[in-house]
Amino acid sequence: MSTKLRIFMTGVGGQGTLTATTLLARAALSVGLPVTSGEIHGMAQRGGVVESTLLIGCKSPKIGPGEADILLGFEPLETLRALPYLKPGGVVLSSSETMPPPSVATGKESAPSVDDIRAKVAAKCGSSCFLPVRSLGVQAGAVQSGNIALLGALCAMGALPFGKEVLANTIRATMKPKVAEINIKALELGAACPA
Amino acid sequence: MASPLLNGAPGETHLLLGNEAIVRGAVEAGIQFVSCYPGTPSSEVPDTFFRLSPEGAYTFEYSVNEKVALEVSGGATLAGALCLVTMKHVGVNVAADPLLTLTYTGAPGGLVLLSADDPGCHSSQNEQDNRIYARLAGLPCFEPSTAQEAKDMTRAALTISRELAAPALLRTTTRVNHLRGPVTLAEPTVLPKPAGFQRDPARFVPIPAFARPMHQRQLERIEKLRALAEASPFNAVSGAGAVGVVASGISRAYLADALDETGLAGKVKVLDLGFTYPLPEKLIGDFMAGLSTLLVVEELEPVLETEIRALAQRLGISLNILGKTPGPLPRIGEYDVAMVSAALRQAAGLPQPETAACACGADPDVPLANRPPNLCAGCPHRATYAAVRKVYGDTAVYSSDIGCYTLGILPPLKAADFLVCMGSSISAGSGAAKAAGQTVVGFIGDSTFFHSGITGLINAVFNQHNILVVILDNRTTAMTGHQPNPGVDKTNLGDNPVRVDIESVVRGVGVTQLRKVNPLNQKATLMAIEELKALSGVRVLIAEEPCPLFARRTLGVKRSQVAYVTGDCASAKADGSCGDCLNTLACPAFYVQDGSMAIDPLLCSGCMLCLQFCKNIKARKGDAK
Repeated sequence: MSTKLRIFMTGVGGQGTLTATTLLARAALSVGLPVTSGEIHGMAQRGGVVESTLLIGCKSPKIGPGEADILLGFEPLETLRALPYLKPGGVVLSSSETMPPPSVATGKESAPSVDDIRAKVAAKCGSSCFLPVRSLGVQAGAVQSGNIALLGALCAMGALPFGKEVLANTIRATMKPKVAEINIKALELGAACPA
Repeated sequence: MASPLLNGAPGETHLLLGNEAIVRGAVEAGIQFVSCYPGTPSSEVPDTFFRLSPEGAYTFEYSVNEKVALEVSGGATLAGALCLVTMKHVGVNVAADPLLTLTYTGAPGGLVLLSADDPGCHSSQNEQDNRIYARLAGLPCFEPSTAQEAKDMTRAALTISRELAAPALLRTTTRVNHLRGPVTLAEPTVLPKPAGFQRDPARFVPIPAFARPMHQRQLERIEKLRALAEASPFNAVSGAGAVGVVASGISRAYLADALDETGLAGKVKVLDLGFTYPLPEKLIGDFMAGLSTLLVVEELEPVLETEIRALAQRLGISLNILGKTPGPLPRIGEYDVAMVSAALRQAAGLPQPETAACACGADPDVPLANRPPNLCAGCPHRATYAAVRKVYGDTAVYSSDIGCYTLGILPPLKAADFLVCMGSSISAGSGAAKAAGQTVVGFIGDSTFFHSGITGLINAVFNQHNILVVILDNRTTAMTGHQPNPGVDKTNLGDNPVRVDIESVVRGVGVTQLRKVNPLNQKATLMAIEELKALSGVRVLIAEEPCPLFARRTLGVKRSQVAYVTGDCASAKADGSCGDCLNTLACPAFYVQDGSMAIDPLLCSGCMLCLQFCKNIKARKGDAK
């Protein structure tokens, strides 16, 4: 396979960024794609930034600046922070709901508004889509399933070499039936988002 | 559910974390004995072995430190068991003493040491290159670059180790431990039960008269291992041309992508080194013959580069060798595809493209607000630090140690002034206090206390040092993922039947000035610290309260209440008035809305520490979380 695809994912510790990454990697492997993914743990659990990668057709598990075809941001400030990883003309999918870092939540520092972030991202990428990931998760039945809504939107944009049925099958194969049901609902909700 | 790691059938392909692939490789080799001390990025290896231990055909233990872990397995291999010992890179320093003599006595049952190195210091205090230990101790060294190789090399290292009774090094880096990739399984080997220790003093007791011939035998073994490295499938030549590249470890993955990126695939000669020590000298000599330029790609120290330069000199091969002495590649941090592409173009005499553009270009934005890792809401360390800071302020020097509590370095707690390594808080703190008579408070967690704090405490008692040691006992090894330690009440497999009591240990080594508190009781904690402050000599405060994450997940503790700020709270402003818990505690559940402090009920863990700081914060019944 000569087509390469690099997806950079970013979020906040505890959001389930790594769960989404593994699900996507399993889905890619289930259709026979040469997939590698990478993640940096360590202190991530304590509310820090969690970054992960998914690469198809590459040996490296790492994505350098300007190399990502797709940027998936599970929190808008982190989407903006990771923008340097996106290649010119790349695709951005992001949550539109903020989880401000403590310094911002307590008024010691300021952060750009979601509208600012949307505008900056739109100006710098090929196409972008912002969706209310946590709300969609709650609507589907569990706030954590919001990440899967973001993956649903990614499928709907045609940005992956496989469709949402493949993800749905992977969800069914790897999660308990009750959890799978919620996540498939989130997948559908997300898939309905991109206009 | 049956785990593919134990029960997967040969030929099946699974997506595995590098660390899970190591577990499967060990299972395929017939692993019989696993000991470890956890540490990022190695921890998923022992944690997976532990989780699967009820159905696994191996003995597993979390040892109290890396030296002990290696010694326990060192004994097990003398008794004939095939052993794996896992730790992070700095742990090998702790284990270096047994390591350098185990290669004299040898490992009759086989023994592999996993050293998980951390280029870039993602979660470590240094980025030392443990390939140098392979040279120092005389260990064959394997360096995987993919999940499949992590599995295959673990198996090969264990098998070779057993065949030659040679302890071996499996050296990974963070990216390898934490990548995921497809792994095709193979049939596990079934080994006979360990035969038991066979008495042979000349082989196993390194008194000087025996140690000298042991060293001779160790050198002979290295030559046998070199012959294996020469023929190893993990060392492979590809491509053609007058420019050559040698790469090892994860750099091989970057090189493979860089060859595609630069269009140089097939146009340069490549030597992939996976079995990297002893150096396959004939293979490398043949590879170098006829080359005009050789690029060596390896992260951290110029280990291969230096050895290859010496080899070229010895063989009389004249060629231009590029690497990191002086360049173009750096000696610090991780590599990536772009960095290797640039070095490759330089070696091949190709022009460098204009700086690779990213989507954002040069964004003139001011730096974004950081999101540093922080002590969790409800973390008992916050309570202890707040009390110590209230009593001592900046008048004490805070000697810190390794664990979640190192995060106390952040303002407003600022409870970490210096830090060396695991267990150093007490010993380095003792020395710092003695040198110039400064007041020193040392902080150490429960697992770190068992790891190597006890020796420092005994030393402080014996040498009559003047230090207040605060043992932050959160009943688990929190930072690395809640691994059991000798003091825990419970693990995720059940109760700990042999709980070692920290207070008894402290009293047992001769400490008489001791207080024990629950740090969430701020008044009692403050009183205890005041009392200890008034005394001199070795004083110990044990601050005991379970990590709230561990309490919820493993101890089954449900949150019964949450804190909230009362509506009429005029003083709960962010202006520094009132109890000012916003600025003194900095709990992640706090936020400011319309100029007033508020508490996020979803993040609040119900520890009720803030209630004790401000009368305007009250408790209400919370949802069970």
